[in-house]
Amino acid sequence: MQANTVISIAKKEIMDNIRNKWIILVSAMFALLTLAVSYFGTLGSTGWQDLGMTISGMTQLGSFLISIVAFMLGYAAIIGEIERSSMSALLSTSTTRFEIVVGKLLGLGAVLCLTILIGYGIAGLVIGANVPNVDVAEYLAFIGLTMLFGVVILSVALCFSTIFSKLSTALGGAIFLWFLFNIILPIVFIGLLATTIDFSSVLNETLVIPDWYYVLSFINPIAVYSSLIGITIGPVQSSIDAGMIPYPSWYSPGLLLGVLVLWIIVFFSVAVWRFQQKDI
Amino acid sequence: MATQLVKCPTCKTTITISGEPGEKINITCSSCNQKGIFTIPTEEPPKTMPGNHATIEVHNLTKTYNDFIAVNNISFDVKKGEIFGFLGPNGAGKTTTIKAMLDLLHADTGTIHLNGINIRTQGKDAKKHVGYMPEKVSFYDNLTALQNMQFYAEMKHVSKEECSPLIKEFGLADAEKKRVGKFSKGMVQRLGMARAILGNPPILILDEPSGGLDPRGVVLIRDKILEMKDKGTTIFVSSHILSEIQEICDRVGIINKGTLVAQDSVEGLSKKLNLKPQITVTVDTLTEKIENAVKKLPGVERVTAQKNTLDILCDGAMKAKVILAITNAGGNIQNLQTKEPTLEEVFMRYTEA
Repeated sequence: MQANTVISIAKKEIMDNIRNKWIILVSAMFALLTLAVSYFGTLGSTGWQDLGMTISGMTQLGSFLISIVAFMLGYAAIIGEIERSSMSALLSTSTTRFEIVVGKLLGLGAVLCLTILIGYGIAGLVIGANVPNVDVAEYLAFIGLTMLFGVVILSVALCFSTIFSKLSTALGGAIFLWFLFNIILPIVFIGLLATTIDFSSVLNETLVIPDWYYVLSFINPIAVYSSLIGITIGPVQSSIDAGMIPYPSWYSPGLLLGVLVLWIIVFFSVAVWRFQQKDI
Repeated sequence: MATQLVKCPTCKTTITISGEPGEKINITCSSCNQKGIFTIPTEEPPKTMPGNHATIEVHNLTKTYNDFIAVNNISFDVKKGEIFGFLGPNGAGKTTTIKAMLDLLHADTGTIHLNGINIRTQGKDAKKHVGYMPEKVSFYDNLTALQNMQFYAEMKHVSKEECSPLIKEFGLADAEKKRVGKFSKGMVQRLGMARAILGNPPILILDEPSGGLDPRGVVLIRDKILEMKDKGTTIFVSSHILSEIQEICDRVGIINKGTLVAQDSVEGLSKKLNLKPQITVTVDTLTEKIENAVKKLPGVERVTAQKNTLDILCDGAMKAKVILAITNAGGNIQNLQTKEPTLEEVFMRYTEA
């Protein structure tokens, strides 16, 4: 693999997307929503909320929005270029398919991270000016974990972009995956949990969620990301209601980070393998 | 001990390095002081084919899609500096062959060598020798023509300095800083040709290079192809414009339903098909006697009379006898023209159902 080639491809992706101007729109949307969550964050209260409340709110809203943005960035990355025929021109140069996938993941990942950084960064500055004792390191950690989550979804989208043979099918696949991660899987998990727990324990506040539930949640990156933010970011932990069910001791930030990184590795590897097999 | 010439990535100065294969050499550019490490290759660098040997070799290529045989065991060679026209009806397998030649799709069987390098096993090296223009030319719409070309210069590892003059050569100087998304189809096509010849590759593979171009654009592309041939470039061109192919190609290959049905020069193919030239004679007054005199000549296949003109299909060597027969029958010849069999006729005969 030639680093120069990968950097050139990544640079091209960044230029192409920045000139598209949607990055500005999405950044502005992130900033406005974060500010709105921070100002109107809790029911019945207005005015700037503390950072924990804001991050809690943004984790939910952000996972919805970031997964949309990441899917939109990634679903057309390979199949879109194949359909447009620019892929055959690119592959006729002495570039390997592996270099193309790496370059695209890096380039699109950079675009996504930049969008998150600008959006959440602007919001952070405004919140910092209005809320006392903001922990900058915690907020930066939140932004960093959100970027990692974005790259996970991007690698899934990139993988599906190599699997489907039509752009329209890939778009359908991206929409399905968004529903799967955001709506279907959470409902399925809750349903499974409901069939196994003793409801009297909920009333007695002695509910213990079985370990298999946490293990199962690894198949949904949104659940992993939410848990990771909840466990890792101090202000979020302190804002969690005292009556909330605690995570098991083995459910550590390191493990959750590892799971997210594994998501990237697995889907990136499948994307490379599938793209190697593909007829252009 | 091996000696290698490398170019400084910053200032492009050529630096000579000597060392054992696999040895890492610390180098400093004498012009710009750029430092770097260069590893002497362990293998011999790919050799280009010397002399008049084939630079494109396709042997026993087969590609199937489920039950459909897109390309069926085809073989051909293109020699260095030759222009090879690749013809066939729509869906005959032309683009599939071209894509297999560039390893864009995986052939079921067969081997393809470009400049002696196997495209399947050493694709990265083989493609260093190739410029390609796809049938559907496409660029990154949000980038300007110059940005697009500079990106491909980086991909081809050639100097970005070449891009601007090349864009100008193709009459796109005013559009250099315009987004390609705003280009007309013809402009995109011209830029596609510029991209293909970027870095002066020794092999050019062109799939319908004149598609969507106005007559001026067609002439521009044709002249550029001939200019590249003069530089010694081997050119493989697929086109539907048969007159153009006939004009520029040294040899043609005709593919029909996935099978290569013929490959030779146009004259060679005409001879194989026993196609006759057509002699058109215009006389003062065309009489039945003149017509019959020509028809009676042995070797004349067909005579068509129209006003004062006779269209005679016969062997080229019959011209003198035709003139004599018309004169003896009292005809006064005003004009005589010979039309050799066209590639269109050859193509139609080879691709008949």
